[in-house]
Amino acid sequence: MKILAVCQSGLGTSFMVQMNIQAVLKAENVDTSDIQVDHSDVGSATPDAADYFFVESTLANTVSSLPKDRVVLLKSLIDKQETKAHVNDILDKEGIQYTAE
Amino acid sequence: MNARTLQVTDGANLSWEEAIALAAQPLVDEKIIEPAYIDAMIGVVKEKGPYMNIGPEIVLAHARPDNSVHGIGLSLLKTNSAVNFVDREHPVKLWFVLTAIDSQSHLGVIQQLMTLLTNKEAVKQVLAADSVDQILAILKGLDASL
Repeated sequence: MKILAVCQSGLGTSFMVQMNIQAVLKAENVDTSDIQVDHSDVGSATPDAADYFFVESTLANTVSSLPKDRVVLLKSLIDKQETKAHVNDILDKEGIQYTAE
Repeated sequence: MNARTLQVTDGANLSWEEAIALAAQPLVDEKIIEPAYIDAMIGVVKEKGPYMNIGPEIVLAHARPDNSVHGIGLSLLKTNSAVNFVDREHPVKLWFVLTAIDSQSHLGVIQQLMTLLTNKEAVKQVLAADSVDQILAILKGLDASL
């Protein structure tokens, strides 16, 4: 499974989201041998680039070409709880085990 | 960040464009960026909207690396009054400016910055601070070399 954090430039904010996703996976003792987390700019985020896309919510219309059921819109990029809730939804959906804190 | 790259001001009379320009001024003074980088950041916001409002009352202003950037930099302006970032839905008091020279070398700075931003208590303290010294003291208390 691949999760891609996306922002306009692919420079800063997407990396922040990537860090938070990775921190959640680590805290929940998820086996990440088959989970890839990366960041990119909007232009590189094509539907086949990843299984799930995390995007800041005001950029929603710039990722309209991505399938909506695989796009997570974040209100805050620095709120670990918000990121965690979305990551857990995906882990549930994919049947991946994690330790709920 | 240090006493030169941190600023605190009232901000009640600032527009968001002026807030970004003021926040970036120390980086211009230190010759890390040319003034053109400020215009580039403002241009991105005008074109793409307020997505750089990364959390409540926090903006991380940045633009793509180009020849107006000479190094990796981070500065912070704290406005005691909230300034509307583009619209009233996005009031902001912490104006970070980040500069990057490529897509990799500044990631360490972002990691350090996230140590602060994901610490809700520290962010609350910075939002309440009204002097540069107070902010420096809060940063010193963190496990980060910001």
